Amino acid sequence: MSADLLSYSVAGTLAVPHFLGEHDHPWLRVLLEEHERFIGRPQRELEARLRDPLPCESPPRKLRLAIQVLGRLRPSERKSAVPPRRARAHVFGEAARTSAPSQAILSTVAASLGVSLEDLQDSLFADLPGERLVAAPAQPLSAVELALRCNLAVVQGMLFRATIVRIEVEGNTRVLVRHAKWRGLICAVGERSGSASATVELSGPFALFRNTRLYGRALGELVPLLAWCPRFRLRAECVFHGRRLTLQLETGDPIFPSTAPRRYDSLLEEHFAREFRRLAPAWDVIREPEPIAATGTLIFPDFAVQHRSDPTRRWLLEIVGFWTPDYVARKLALYRSVHVSSLILCIDEGRNCAEADLPSGARVIRYRRRVDAAAVLRVIETTPCSS
Amino acid sequence: MRLQFDRGTIVLTDPPKDLDLAEAPGVLWDPRVQAYRAPASKYPALKRWLLRSRAGFQDIPEPVSPTQELWSEVDLRPYQEAALSAWELGQRRGVVALPTGSGKTRLALAAMHRTRLSALCLVPTRVLLDQWLREIGALYRGPVGCYGDGVRQWAPLTIATFESAYRHMDQLGDRFELVIVDEVHHFGGGLRDETLEMTIADARLGLTATPTRDPGVTARLAELVGATVFELAIADLAGGFLASFDSITLNLDLTPEERRAYTSLAALFTSAHAEFRQLAPDGSWADFTHHAARTPEGRRALSAWRQMRRLLAFTHAKRRALESLLVRHRHSRVLIFTADNETAYAIAREHLVMPLTCDISRPERDDVLERFRHGDLRTLVSARVLNEGLDVPDADVAVVVGGALGEREHVQRVGRLLRPSDGKRVTVYELVTRNSIEVGQARRRRQGLVVRRSAQL
Repeated sequence: MSADLLSYSVAGTLAVPHFLGEHDHPWLRVLLEEHERFIGRPQRELEARLRDPLPCESPPRKLRLAIQVLGRLRPSERKSAVPPRRARAHVFGEAARTSAPSQAILSTVAASLGVSLEDLQDSLFADLPGERLVAAPAQPLSAVELALRCNLAVVQGMLFRATIVRIEVEGNTRVLVRHAKWRGLICAVGERSGSASATVELSGPFALFRNTRLYGRALGELVPLLAWCPRFRLRAECVFHGRRLTLQLETGDPIFPSTAPRRYDSLLEEHFAREFRRLAPAWDVIREPEPIAATGTLIFPDFAVQHRSDPTRRWLLEIVGFWTPDYVARKLALYRSVHVSSLILCIDEGRNCAEADLPSGARVIRYRRRVDAAAVLRVIETTPCSS
Repeated sequence: MRLQFDRGTIVLTDPPKDLDLAEAPGVLWDPRVQAYRAPASKYPALKRWLLRSRAGFQDIPEPVSPTQELWSEVDLRPYQEAALSAWELGQRRGVVALPTGSGKTRLALAAMHRTRLSALCLVPTRVLLDQWLREIGALYRGPVGCYGDGVRQWAPLTIATFESAYRHMDQLGDRFELVIVDEVHHFGGGLRDETLEMTIADARLGLTATPTRDPGVTARLAELVGATVFELAIADLAGGFLASFDSITLNLDLTPEERRAYTSLAALFTSAHAEFRQLAPDGSWADFTHHAARTPEGRRALSAWRQMRRLLAFTHAKRRALESLLVRHRHSRVLIFTADNETAYAIAREHLVMPLTCDISRPERDDVLERFRHGDLRTLVSARVLNEGLDVPDADVAVVVGGALGEREHVQRVGRLLRPSDGKRVTVYELVTRNSIEVGQARRRRQGLVVRRSAQL
């Protein structure tokens, strides 16, 4: 997104985004109605209309932003009597061959293709962006949603200029960290502060050397995921026109969320959770318990199981599935390094993990295809919890 | 100690206690991973420093070389030989500036062949990606890698678009010893410069027809690729290695209605621009637009500027002039250049001339160029697509209806026509509206064609 669409003010060293809110809904509704009016007409006509002001008051920069966001969501369709590429090949080829006037050439080609002159002229560029027809969106878009999507676009546009992002986060950390690592970012775990269950610092390898926009897109993609964290606070160091400014976001900021993250990574985990709940009504199964800090990184146990009437009876449970040997080795090494008490490791028999690789003190349950919930229950019912 | 390539950087782990890596070129302590790190482009200097310091280290794996036997001989013209020698003398680093049509791609192929190095060639567009793949395929019988246009395939010789290289250099940066950058003037200004900082390649060759004159960009480019080691302009080669050309300017008038509209728009724009000039005598155009966007008067001025440009893009007189030129040259191969796509489509509809724009799909563009080569199409109209690098043989007339990007664009456009053939003489028409901003624009853009600069070593 171009910088002139980013609406924010500067307060000291802070860049404060101007979010679209309830006060913007009236003109957003007018904008959506204008769009509706142009359904079935060429995009260029809508674009020409939107270059003029709306019939109501609307902040110019926010309006341009909303038009752009709407433009990305707006579907378009093509209608032509002759496929445009075919029409062009015939018309321009014929024009190169003869010296007849344009109208005569078009008439000849129209006759040869079996369409009317008007249909041929309409088909000639019907596939170009401006000539495509405005279509109705698959799902109706409300002013509220458009405002939230605009806010997301502003924040992502600002984060596109970010070099480093720090997030204090409670819950859903695993999704954030996984996404960041998948996008090639370095996740450094900082000291916990206040009630945050984790503080992660995200930046790209090259950011060590200079301000770079290389990772802006990856950093921006984290924002819709944050909406699913019960609590978060984000601080991003950004560079606007050569000036370093900090962007802050926190729980409750009006940003469009991503689709809900998947609750379970695999059917294996989902089946285990369901089976365990059925067999052990006295125990709670907690998906994604708080992460464990381990030498500059975080370990995310798959589950915690906790006795309903005695919370001191709490076990962490990790399902070591069929991942690459390197991944399993790294994971086990991390668990060894943090000496977690009351840990159950469910290990796929196919992994052939040696006893020496396993963290001392961990209870190990080998499984094939399915984790035996009854076996897990037996361990936690018969073994005293050491935490 | 171990050196590892990590996403465009070199990470140094387990250094000996007596080695102060803070002294090593480009190396910084990275507290995020508790290790030393350097940009990949510093790898050659870092390696030399480590060898000088007699520090033992496990190096990163060497890039895989292409098979030399699969190369055919690459013959060069005398000035291409001279350019290649200048680059060799510059320690295999530097920029070679040669006019369009003088065989820059061939020079690049010779550099790959003679150095025997694994090479990554960066090109600005997908159209050029295809063109390079074709040209390299004609001389190298082994597999050629490709990054761009949805393809991600590596080989010791690989072609990548700028965009794709920027996105994937974190994985490609340790796989090549030589980087060749076509249209290298796109770098040095900050945008995507990281591409060249994230590769370990020591040998670097930049190619351009329009070297940058900005001192800041030139200095940065010298750091990223090397200084300009050889330069020739169109005037140095025209009539010999390039076709001769005549440049004809047609000065055209506006109709009374057009003039009235132009004058009132110009007044709106000029007063706001003059006001800005008083405030910031050295301010750039970008500063002006930034400043103007803040006030209603400023926005009106910017709007007036856009309307002036639209008005001048295809005036009544330009329409008539173009019509008569197309009749006069109806047996020639003609390229029409416009300032924007809108004008290109207007001309396409009016004169039934095939437009070649960014909106036309790649397969159709390829098909159109093929038909143009065979003479099934005799005229093409384009705003930007034909500007840079695209090899369009045998066009002998150019009509410049409008331009937006000045000298560089003009040199590239004229260059499209100058690939030599027997007895070829090219005619370039420029349609310029009298007493308008186009007069100054036309004067400035022509300078790029006549400036003659000597070869430097």
